[in-house]
Amino acid sequence: MPNFFDLNVHAYPETEAPIEELLRVAKRYGYAGIAITNHDESVKERLNSNFIITGVEIRANSVLELKRKVTLHWGKVPLLAVHGSDDKLNRAAVEDSRVDILAHPCGEKGEGELNHVSVRYAAANGVAIDFNLGALIHNRRSDRARILDKMRETLKLVRKYNAPMILTSNAHSIYDLRAPQEMIALAALFGMSKEEATSALCDIPQGILEKRWKKERAVELL
Amino acid sequence: MKSIMNALLYMPPSLRERRRYLLFEVMCERELDKRDLLKEIWDSIYSLYGDVGGGEIKLRLIEYHNREERKSGVGILRCAHDKVEEVRASLACIHSVNGARVGIRVIKISGTIKGATRLRR
Repeated sequence: MPNFFDLNVHAYPETEAPIEELLRVAKRYGYAGIAITNHDESVKERLNSNFIITGVEIRANSVLELKRKVTLHWGKVPLLAVHGSDDKLNRAAVEDSRVDILAHPCGEKGEGELNHVSVRYAAANGVAIDFNLGALIHNRRSDRARILDKMRETLKLVRKYNAPMILTSNAHSIYDLRAPQEMIALAALFGMSKEEATSALCDIPQGILEKRWKKERAVELL
Repeated sequence: MKSIMNALLYMPPSLRERRRYLLFEVMCERELDKRDLLKEIWDSIYSLYGDVGGGEIKLRLIEYHNREERKSGVGILRCAHDKVEEVRASLACIHSVNGARVGIRVIKISGTIKGATRLRR
């Protein structure tokens, strides 16, 4: 049984979902761990469980603000994600090797862009590109068609440059969580194969938590 | 003559369509009506695969009932044997039924109802 991870879940106080509830449901669904990544603040509560990984998702309006917030949170939380939005911010996020995850690079509604240069930087800096499956669940018709199109494009680039990719639910409540097999079926909608999706839920998140790509990079620099 | 007529009443095994039965679990805010749930599943399938794809899936809702103790329910769906992943994706895309937020997951897949409902050891 592989270890599945969901590295982008929002919990109380940002949303109404208490961590205990999320933990119960995620365990039931067969996850080995979930990361609570609230916007701009890490969860203070200490839970004696290595099931929950504390993280933070940085939301910024400018590149300067992004850099400042990355410096502020770096080293204090095990997982540093950046809220992806427009081209400029995505680029700034993947150029910074302190960032672990670029969350929903296409924006929550598919308004953002990710070009080949950014993906190449992401591969070099070990910044994981996130595919936000929550957007597929909550949008319909033309919105969803646009998001699927963007994800297909991103997947093509990710395959080409071999950047790390992960699948997340971006859940705001227990009803937004999906079991790993369902996540794999959703990923198939934009052309991801079963093997790729499984590794995007197991090996790659594990690697992110162990900072595998960062270590490789450190060796290269020496 | 009578025996030939009798034989024609049954579909030869080679022509019979192959099916899969999916045991699924719904986590919901409040109790769901079976009809509302089925409508939502169909909406999701049409939205993802259209009328043609929806027809190929050959979906039937065999059984659904709410669990009493917790806010959840279990049910059995039937679909064509090669469309399981499509059904899974359609179920995963459902976020609310009649205004109540829900999350659905497939617990077990089997070729027979008996197999799908058999308790795991």
